[in-house]
Parts: sequence; C-alpha cells; structure tokens
Amino acid sequence: MTTERLGVAGDFDWRTALRRYGWTTGVWLLLIALLAFYASTLPSFGSFQIASIAKNSLPLVYLAIAQAIIVIAGGIDLAVGSMLILSNAVAAQLMDGQSLGVSLLVAVLVIAMGAVLNGSVGWIIWVSKVPDIVVTLATLFIIAGLALLVLPSPGGGTSDMFRAIFTGSTTGIGTNFWPALVMMFLPMLVVAHWLKHSQNGLSLYATGSDPTAAYLSGVSTMKAKIVSYALGGAFAALGGLASLAITGSGESRFATASNFTLRSVAAIVLGGVALTGGIGSVVGAAAAGIVLFILSPVLSSLGVDPNTAQVIQGSLIVVVMMVAGIIELRRERAE
Amino acid sequence: MNDAPLLQVEGIAKSFGTVVALRSASLEVASGEIHALLGANGAGKSTLVKIMSGVHRPDAGTVKVHGETHYVRDPRVAAEAGLGTVFQDPALIPDLTVHENLRLTDIDADDVRGWLEQMELGDVDFEAQIRDLPLPTLRLIDLARVLARKPSMLMLDEITAALTADQAEQVFAVMEQWKERGNSVLIITHRLGEVMRMCDRATVLRDGRDVEVCVPRDVGESGLVQAMLGEAVEAIPDTTTALERLSEAPVALEVVDLRSTDQVHGVSFTLRAGEVLGVAALEDQGQERLFELLSGDRRPDQGQIILADGVPLDARSPFDAVSKGVVLVPSDRLQALLPKRPIRENLTTPLYNRLRKWFGLAADERERVENAVDRLSIDTRAGNQAGRLSGGNQQKVVVGRWLASGFRVLLCFDPTRGIDVGTKQQIYELLRELADDGAAVLLYTSELAEIPLVCDRVVVMYSGELVDEMPASDASEQALLSAAHGISEGAA
Repeated sequence: MTTERLGVAGDFDWRTALRRYGWTTGVWLLLIALLAFYASTLPSFGSFQIASIAKNSLPLVYLAIAQAIIVIAGGIDLAVGSMLILSNAVAAQLMDGQSLGVSLLVAVLVIAMGAVLNGSVGWIIWVSKVPDIVVTLATLFIIAGLALLVLPSPGGGTSDMFRAIFTGSTTGIGTNFWPALVMMFLPMLVVAHWLKHSQNGLSLYATGSDPTAAYLSGVSTMKAKIVSYALGGAFAALGGLASLAITGSGESRFATASNFTLRSVAAIVLGGVALTGGIGSVVGAAAAGIVLFILSPVLSSLGVDPNTAQVIQGSLIVVVMMVAGIIELRRERAE
Repeated sequence: MNDAPLLQVEGIAKSFGTVVALRSASLEVASGEIHALLGANGAGKSTLVKIMSGVHRPDAGTVKVHGETHYVRDPRVAAEAGLGTVFQDPALIPDLTVHENLRLTDIDADDVRGWLEQMELGDVDFEAQIRDLPLPTLRLIDLARVLARKPSMLMLDEITAALTADQAEQVFAVMEQWKERGNSVLIITHRLGEVMRMCDRATVLRDGRDVEVCVPRDVGESGLVQAMLGEAVEAIPDTTTALERLSEAPVALEVVDLRSTDQVHGVSFTLRAGEVLGVAALEDQGQERLFELLSGDRRPDQGQIILADGVPLDARSPFDAVSKGVVLVPSDRLQALLPKRPIRENLTTPLYNRLRKWFGLAADERERVENAVDRLSIDTRAGNQAGRLSGGNQQKVVVGRWLASGFRVLLCFDPTRGIDVGTKQQIYELLRELADDGAAVLLYTSELAEIPLVCDRVVVMYSGELVDEMPASDASEQALLSAAHGISEGAA
C-alpha cells in the first residue's frame, strides 16, 4: 500500500494497470464473447459472417473514434452523424461513374472537407465560448441540411474498386474480410498511437483533463480544440465513405444523421471515454461501436423481438456505467 | 549580458472586474539572488507572479528580462523568456502519467529524473498517473520539470506549504544551487523563518503596491511583519464580552482530535453557546478542510465532533449537519444561493427540507421569512434574482436563510470576502447579535484585523494544527500574524 501511494517504480502494480487498461480490455472481451456466442447460435459461421460484421460496423466504428477524439479533448460533437451523411452525399455525387483513381481523389477531398469544416466548428466554439453541445446541435441541422441540398433523393454511386477497398468485394458482398479489418484497425491504431505518444496528441488529453493545468504547462488549448474537431470531422467523413462503399449509392436522411450521432455517444460511453474529457481511448470506443452494432443480430438470433432488443441495448449501457461507478467508489473507499 | 537586473517589473496594475488586485507593483530581482515576495493575504503576490508567468495579462506596466521588455502574453512566452514558475496548484495533467506530462511539454525525462534524484525522489514511477501521486511529490515533480527548462528566473509560489520539513530542505538546497549558477529565485511564502534563512532581499506588497524592499536579516521577522501590515495598528476596541460569563455557558460544539489526510492534524477546541470563536490562519493551513469536516461536506479520518448535550454530529452530508443545526456560510456566496431565483425563495430553501410541508409554506414560516428580511435590512427592491444583489446583500441572504430555518452552530468561512466596509460592519454586527441571542458562531476570516471586532476568543491554525489561542482583547493584528506565521511556536 505504501509503495503504491508513493508511486515508487519497480514491482508491477496490477491494480493500476487494470484501472488504466481495464475498461478497454473489458470491452474487447465483451466483444469477443458476443462474437463467440453469435457464432455458436448460427449453423455455419465463417468468413462471410466475419466480413459482413467487419464491413457493416465500419461507419459506426469511425464515428465512435471521431466522437472519442473530440470528447477526450473536452468537447462533444452532436454533428458527427450529419458529417457522415454529408460526406456520403458529396462522394456519391462526385464518384458516380468514375474510375478508381478519381474516386480516391474525391475520397481525399471529402476527408479534407470534413476536417476543415469541423475544424472551423472547433474554432468557433473556442472563440465564442459557447458550449460545445449548443454549437454542434446547430451544426447537426446545418450540415444535415447541406447534405440534403447536395443529394435530395437517394442516388449517385461510386467505382466498384472503391467499394472493394472497404468491403473486400466489388459488389459489396463477399467472403474476403481482410480489407474491412485493415480499414478498421489501421486508422484506429494509428490515431490511438498518435494520441498517446505524440506531443500534439497528448495535448488533446491534457486539454480535456485539466484545461488550466494544460494552459499553465504551455499547451495551446485553442489548437487542441481545433485539432480534435478537425480530426473528428475527418473520421466522420471516413464513415460516410464507408457507408457509400457498403451500399454502392448515396442517401441523405436526417434520421440517419441523428441516429448515428446518438449511437456514437453511446459507443464512447460504453467504450470507457469519460464525457468530462481526458479519460479513455479510441480503441475502447471502437470496440464498443462494434458491440453496439452486433448486439441486434445477436439478440434477433436469440429470438428477441427488435423492440425489446432496443430496451436491452439501452440497459446494457446503464448497467456497464453502474458497475464501473461501483468499482470506482469501492476503490476510493479502499484508499 | 548587460548590467540591467535580471528581472525588472514596473508599475503593474491588474483588476478583475471591480476587484483591484494590483494598483502599481514594481519588483526588481538581480542576477544570483534569492528574493522573497511578501505580503498579507490579498496583497497581490500571486497575481503578480501570474502576470510574470503569462497567466494574466496586466492592465498596465512592463516586464523586463535582462533589460529587454517582454510582452508575456501566455505561459509559453514566459518560459521562452527564461521565467519558470512553479504554481500553487501543480500544473500537471491528472489523467496522464508523469512521463506523458513530460512529453506533453517536450522536456527530457532524464533531466527531470536527475533533479528528482537530488531531491531524494529518484524512485518515482514515471508511468504512474498524476492523480495517484501525493501532493508533495507532485510539487517536486513540477519543480523538477521547471528546472529542466533551465529558467534564469525561478519563481516558486508557496512551494513549501505542502511539503514536509525534509522535503523543504531539499528544495532549499536546490534553490541555493540554482543561485550559485548565476540564476535567480523568487519565492512567495508565508513562512518568515524561510525568508530569514534563505533570502537575500525581500519586496513587500501591500494593497497591490510595493511598499518596501529590504534585507530580511537586517530588519528581522518583526520588521517584515510591520512592513506587511503598514502603519502601526491602533488600539483594539473593547469588546466588553466577558469570557467568564461564557465559561458558564453550555457547550455547543466540541471538537476532539480531528484529523483529515494531509490537511488537519489533530484539532481540538470547544465552542460555547453565545460565543463567537475566531479562526485565524494564513492561506492553505487546513482551515478550509476543517470547515468541510464541521459542515458535513467530508467525513473526518479520525476524531469526534460533538454537539450540545453530547450528541455526535456524525454527518454523512451537509443535509445531516443542517438537520442537527450546524449550518455553513461559505465565502463564495453564489455557491450557497440560487442566483437566478428570487430572494424570498432563497430564504426559504432550507425549509423545503421539512417534508410535511408539501404544498408551500405554512403561515409561521412565511412570518419567519419576513422577520429575516426585516432583521437583515436586505434591500429587496432589485429582488427577483438573488444573483443581481450586491455581494454584501447576497451574503446577508445566505445568513438570512439560516435565520429563517433556525440553527445552533453557525460556521462562517470568510463571509466578508470582497464585501464593502459598510456591509461588512453590518454582517459583523449581525453575527455578534446572533451570538448574544445564544447561537454559537465559528468564524474564519482572512482579514485578521477584523477578528477582535467580532470575536470573543481566537484560535490560530498553522499547518493543520491549532498552534495558539488567545482572548480577542489580546488578538492584535500583529500578534495574530506572528502566531499565524508559526513564529510564537518557533517553527521554521
């Protein structure tokens, strides 16, 4: 006990490690357990199912990462769902009937658009000092409106090869799960590493954890705010591209935007990101995104009707939060 | 290098809203000296350091380093100009590890390790999260981090306050070493013993101005205290309160060996009905925690709080304390009020706890509220939002709501902070009146000169312990300030 209090180096303290990485590990274990259970309920579980889950959960995983980055830096973005449908609409219009090369160029532009647009939202929040939740509630409507202007009715398209980048097949349906897994893990691990190991990435955690101490340490809190929103916008745009690749055509619906936003918040909460900022990881949030995605097929395979399934999904979040709260309380009492 | 002093600060002024923190403060620190910045609470020491560190921007005045004017607009600029500050609250990010905090500020971990080893903290785990480390360790890590930037001017704001005597010695050794390298150190401290021992010169601030620059060894501790206070204090008004009479009165609150981690180390005292007991202390001597414990905001680690007739307080929350008649008037009035609601509603909030009154207030309670308004002479004209009242009137509302609900022990934590003189007088009269009616009042105020005006007896808190006790008639500001600096106990 005394060594722990003094923070003395040397012996590995499993309790500290558990507290730091416990939640992320727990969410991944929950995911694996759900997958295993799902596999056992199906007569055949193979690469087709893996590919299907991997690719179809991509949009929510990207949004969970986007939301996690922004919340870690002390903000919250209700407009990530709108950004997803906007980038989906723009890409569907511009990629329709084009080659892979053009599609890739468009993809880069769309991601840049997401970053610049959302970065300016971060700047507005910082300059105006209006709470994040208010500004992004407004941009939720504004950006969704732009998406509807760009693509009033479902349509547009993309190159078949572009679809294969995210889905592993030119038709969007297949058994090759590697591309979807790479597209999921590569950006996630890159951004997770950047956040935890670079000076700029750590400044996001610092700003979310204690803005005053961060400022006193010489961190530019304005830059952290703008960077977190820009990066979140880029990931939301990536989500729009993924959903275009999955369906092969674009669609702008406000319900999709708001739904995705709410699910991104649910994912980060389940994934162990503290809404107060500074705590959590994108890796945990991504896993929680997949968990939320596969929960409905798992429950329907159990014969639970969809309405009850919704209740169960919501209850899962509350139960997880309560358990975490109790563990935290016990730890504080013990100290 | 030129002949200009290392640091030259001239005519700094700074106001926060209507509160003037600094009027015109100047300070000069030569190369290779350890300089103390002294002053009573509210003299503007911390504000001046924060301006030199780029945390606040001055309304007027200049900061020169080696004769060159610097526009210190944020902490990074200050660091580049060679000004390194260890703030009162460690500027470390609680959710990151030590290592991550260093990477965040682009500082070499080996340098920091070197300094920590010198301060006998070489075994700190750099992978530990800041929030898991004890406060003294954090202050030293913060110091080591600032040193690793090699500032020509090291500024330490109350660094020894949270340290043990051993650790303070380590810091002194580091300060000496830094000075020998031709750098300078500026320290803010309430411990005059440290000033006498360590400092080559001292600048004394009073009411936002620099009033004296002196060599501590020449003027002595009493000379420093005199400079902080200003003109000699006039005779204490006769409070005519008979302590003999009070010794007969029933005990309203008895505290026995109260302890709380790092903050309160075995505090015992007795408060009788009809008595106003003053608590005198410098900043951060544990008085804040003591009031938290008494008001039920926090549970003590050890010790007992006993109320009248031997009933233990045993409060799990302020609600329990309030229902046993122990109520708090905090210094931050907006913390206690519902600023957006009307005055009358604010006065009745404690009454909402009486569950049998589900549908509004009973007639007698309406009467109590009216009585409270009359008694306090609260100006209710601008009264549909308590937040619009002046600070003094807000504080009266806070006292008033306890009047309406009734209490036995009134805890006042710096109730007159930032209140004009006239209203202050009214609040003190009110406290006096309440005590004469049989209430027990425990009063902490940062303005030592006011203690004899209202209290019957004073206890002095220093480093989490009560170090002195005296009747109010003996409690001149000078006597209190000396005791509050731990001088009478000979503590360093």
